[in-house]
Amino acid sequence: MGRGWRAVVEAGLGDARTRILGVFLIIVAVVGTFLMHSYANIETVFAASLLAGSLLGRWWTILVPLTALAVLQPLEWSTTYVGYGLNAITGITFFVISGYVFVGFLGRRIRPRVLFRVKSVALLTTISVPVTIAYDLWTAFGEWYFITRPFGVTLGTTLYFQIPFTLYHLLSSLIFVPLFGSIFLFLHAYGWPARSPSATVSGPDRE
Amino acid sequence: MALRLSERQQAVVFAAILLTAIAGLYATTQLLQPAPVQAQVVGSATLDVRGDGWSIRYAPAVTTNNTAFGILSEASARLGFPLSYAIFQIPQGVFVTAINGSVNGEGGRYWQYWVNGVYGDVAADHEALHDGDVVLWSFSASQDGM
Repeated sequence: MGRGWRAVVEAGLGDARTRILGVFLIIVAVVGTFLMHSYANIETVFAASLLAGSLLGRWWTILVPLTALAVLQPLEWSTTYVGYGLNAITGITFFVISGYVFVGFLGRRIRPRVLFRVKSVALLTTISVPVTIAYDLWTAFGEWYFITRPFGVTLGTTLYFQIPFTLYHLLSSLIFVPLFGSIFLFLHAYGWPARSPSATVSGPDRE
Repeated sequence: MALRLSERQQAVVFAAILLTAIAGLYATTQLLQPAPVQAQVVGSATLDVRGDGWSIRYAPAVTTNNTAFGILSEASARLGFPLSYAIFQIPQGVFVTAINGSVNGEGGRYWQYWVNGVYGDVAADHEALHDGDVVLWSFSASQDGM
């Protein structure tokens, strides 16, 4: 039984390189977002989630966004957004977490060939634009339902005021997805101390 | 005959498109930023703060803190009540989180402001005041200030 669980975990987390990259992505998501917390919607969780799904796959598709948000959400609710009611916190947190997990799964669906090529980075960057808009529409709906609706604000008004924030979010995605995408594709493809010549270029590494 | 670009040429084209998109988006976000309020002397402005079972009135003869947030901050310093807020760089602006112990979210109420009865729709430090303006900060659960 114990050995069975171990095998499941081993398969879910992948090889050592995948695990290291997964932890790197979590660190990038947490540290990047924390450092830029005064810049609304400029964040690295989106890029990390997309890359986790598309480059690492396996459990990292949801492990990266969930772990990063497990650290960031309590931080945000206890500092920048201190005082919000439990209902608003629970509701918004649900929309944020499900939104990023959705991003991870979409990344997994894209599955570019894990090669350090311009085409791979361009594909990830291009797809990040509609996915960022979809994510913002989803979370704006959550914000309307749990925060602004009780004030009599319509969904249309909430979406209207969301526009500049979505532009910032698009800016964030266009910077961080190609930046970290290039870095992680390079590391994934060429890695560090290759154990054998065949390990210097990796193909799609999925379950 | 299809044009085949080398990896390096593709990188250059991609970088050019990406940088153009980033520059365009950045320019758009800057255009959407509310203009900063220039400090100037304002006379006979009045501030009313209505919290949870308490109220504060502040009416300086003149002030150079000529924004909805500036006069609140000035009142906080002069009258000695606590004021908490978060500063955002993008988009620029302050977000008031607590005044005199009443914290956003308590009882589903949040700090909101009105100037001459008009609901504030920009960050309070970007709402300019003029002579005789009446600023209301209310800890309320709706835009009606109730």
